[in-house]
Amino acid sequence: MMLQVENLHAGYGGAKILRGVSFDLAAGEVLVLLGRNGAGKSTTIKALMGLLRPTAGRVRLAGADIAGWEPHRIARAGLGWVPEERRVFPELTVAENLEVGRRPAREGLAPWTPERLFALFPNLAELRQRPGARISGGEQQMVAIARTLMGNPRVLLLDEPGEGLAPVIVDLMAEAILALKREGATVLLAEQSLAFASRVADRAVILETGRIVWDGAIDALLADTGARARHLQV
Amino acid sequence: MDLIFLQLLTGLAGASTLFLVAAGLTVIFGVTRVVNFSHGSLYMLGAFIAWSLLSRLPREPDYFVLGVLGAAVATAVIGAVLEVVLLRRIYRAPELLQLLATFGVVLVVQDVALWVWGPVDLSLPRPRWLRGAVEIAGLRFPFYDLVLIVVGPAVLGGLLLLFHRTRWGLLVRAATQDRDMVAALGVDQRVLFTSVFALGAGLAGLGGALALPQGSANLNMDLSVIAEAFVVVVVGGMGSLGGAFLAALLIGVLQAFGIALVPKITLVLVFLVMAAVLVVRPHGLLGKPQAMARGEVEALAPIRPAGPALQVLGLVALLAAILAPFVAGPYLLSVLTEAAVAVLFAASLHVMMGPGGMASFGHAAWFGVGAYAAAFAAKGLGAGMAVGLLLAPFAAGALALLVGAFVVRMSGVYLAMLTLAFAQIAWAVAFQWVEVTGGDNGVLGVWPDGWAADKPTMYWLALLLCVGGALVLRRALFAPFGFALRATRDSALRAEAIGLDAHRLRLAAFVLAGAGAGLSGAVFAYAKGSVFPTYMAIPHSVDALVTVLLGGVQTMAGPVVGAVTFTVLQSWLLMGDFWRIKLGLLIIALVLAFPTGIAGAASAVWDRWRGRAA
Repeated sequence: MMLQVENLHAGYGGAKILRGVSFDLAAGEVLVLLGRNGAGKSTTIKALMGLLRPTAGRVRLAGADIAGWEPHRIARAGLGWVPEERRVFPELTVAENLEVGRRPAREGLAPWTPERLFALFPNLAELRQRPGARISGGEQQMVAIARTLMGNPRVLLLDEPGEGLAPVIVDLMAEAILALKREGATVLLAEQSLAFASRVADRAVILETGRIVWDGAIDALLADTGARARHLQV
Repeated sequence: MDLIFLQLLTGLAGASTLFLVAAGLTVIFGVTRVVNFSHGSLYMLGAFIAWSLLSRLPREPDYFVLGVLGAAVATAVIGAVLEVVLLRRIYRAPELLQLLATFGVVLVVQDVALWVWGPVDLSLPRPRWLRGAVEIAGLRFPFYDLVLIVVGPAVLGGLLLLFHRTRWGLLVRAATQDRDMVAALGVDQRVLFTSVFALGAGLAGLGGALALPQGSANLNMDLSVIAEAFVVVVVGGMGSLGGAFLAALLIGVLQAFGIALVPKITLVLVFLVMAAVLVVRPHGLLGKPQAMARGEVEALAPIRPAGPALQVLGLVALLAAILAPFVAGPYLLSVLTEAAVAVLFAASLHVMMGPGGMASFGHAAWFGVGAYAAAFAAKGLGAGMAVGLLLAPFAAGALALLVGAFVVRMSGVYLAMLTLAFAQIAWAVAFQWVEVTGGDNGVLGVWPDGWAADKPTMYWLALLLCVGGALVLRRALFAPFGFALRATRDSALRAEAIGLDAHRLRLAAFVLAGAGAGLSGAVFAYAKGSVFPTYMAIPHSVDALVTVLLGGVQTMAGPVVGAVTFTVLQSWLLMGDFWRIKLGLLIIALVLAFPTGIAGAASAVWDRWRGRAA
């Protein structure tokens, strides 16, 4: 297993958000984390990344237990986080944004370079010298993904990459994720939209009030109308 | 013509050292968001270390360069240690507590420098090559001025290259925009922050070392340079190197000509320029509106009315205070009078800082205006104490209304700097308008009326006015005005959207705070019988800040606890030699131990205890 999450607990102050989240992610797999608003999808991602200190549980990344580590060590160990709000550095150019993400190559993975990333996101190639604040939301999302890939992560954590973007850009995102999958990338995707998830994911887990309530192949979920009604419909 | 040219040159040379200090300050602020009050201390250490090195090295130019660089490196190392030992622990603390902790460092460094280098100004015997002049186009230029004039732009160029052409610089720039994101991309922030702090400290040390040959290493240079460096950084725009350079040129030249033409108002001139720039460009010459740095969550606990237990405690304390004259000797009584004055002084600052969200660096100005108003009533009008006590809050309040109209449009560090500027102007006026204020000699013989002449009566009067005044302020904060004010502090935009006039509310709080401080100043004047410009000086403003932060900004009891603690500390523990290092270490320890202040920590402990009991 590339990533194993066991009984993860986390929260903000007194509010317990995650109450024992467990799931596995195999190398080369795209797993989607589904759930209603407030189910704990973003919190799970933040707890994995060390931005929120887990109160209990274990997170194994390629064998090492990274729970409780500081974010920069977790990033170095191979988790690459693309935040929901994108958080592109507004006063750095697109090229500089990518450079901030640069980390040494990782054994067994073809190292990412700006050239390979501009091939993955052709729109960005012309924007190299444009400040991060002066590109569109969709372009910022691409920069955020490309910047994280520059760190050659073992697992890519994507938090709602399609949120707030025009349908045509959402299509581009889906294609990019599929392209990454063909390259052998391992992806954990937090997503609200089952439609988007079904286009890119192999497997799905559903979060409800801080616990995993469903785990299986995405096709099985698409077939299981009862589970969808119980856990996803609003 | 020649004279003007030479003066310009002197100005530009001064601008260079000023730029070095300000550049370090602005770089540190940009990344760590810490306003480093101790930056002037690093400058001072640079000068002292340079003196120690250069007075031992041969007096040749290459050894001079070696000594100056050695001093810069040594200061950088000191800065790195400071960052690792202290600042690293308080990056997530509220801005003002960081400021307070670095002020603690200022005090510690002052006594350490006194202990190591002694109280005498240390100047360097200047070798001939340093005193020489260079002839260009028939004019003779002092050689060292030219050196300094070259150093400024050279350092600016070097820094720009460093920030724009190296990976380290790229990471630093990224961290100024979103430090948590940088960490999530695998960069160890601690290494970055420590190196940035070392760079900034090294620049300050370099500035101090380079300033040494034209002056001396002395114990006053820390606070005088920090005030100027703040001005330069704020005028240039916080975090902007180019802005700091422009502002340093402006201030340096202005000072050179000011000293030559109108020496009396130079200080006022500098601060007037700052005020003018900030009114026109609220974020400085090249500054940008300062976005709240991400990852900086300042959770403000809501202010609650005191619970029954605390009310009982307060009543007991008040009763003890009222009965004190029956047991206390004259010395204790005068300390208690000072404590009463400190309570109102702190409570008035708290109105601005806590519920108002406006931290003032110049609160002593209003205290001083009140004190001088009392002095004017007594001496100028020959009126009784009642007139003075009535006049003081109105005078201070009226001036606060005038000044506040400018000031409350700013926020954060800019607001703090602007209040500092106005306080410095007020101080300069008091200091230099000798005909009216008596200058440094002050106004003597501001005695209370006969009926209040004995110490216990004066103490009871002080207690009545100051505790009464503090209670009035407290009442205002739990009135709709107080709620509206806090709403404005939490979100000015949302407050305006529900129909609150943010500007007016902030101005009202500013005036209220000024009037309260004015009254405390007048009481102090009558209790002491004299008024001096030091009442308005920076250290007195810092006293008020320390008091409020010591007690805790977000509790109503805070200013009271802080004022009493601080007065007691000052009167007993902190007398005699090396009181600065004691106070400094105490401040640092308090900030590290109680990031929410004494009263804040006490109420947290109380809540936990209650929670367990329930």
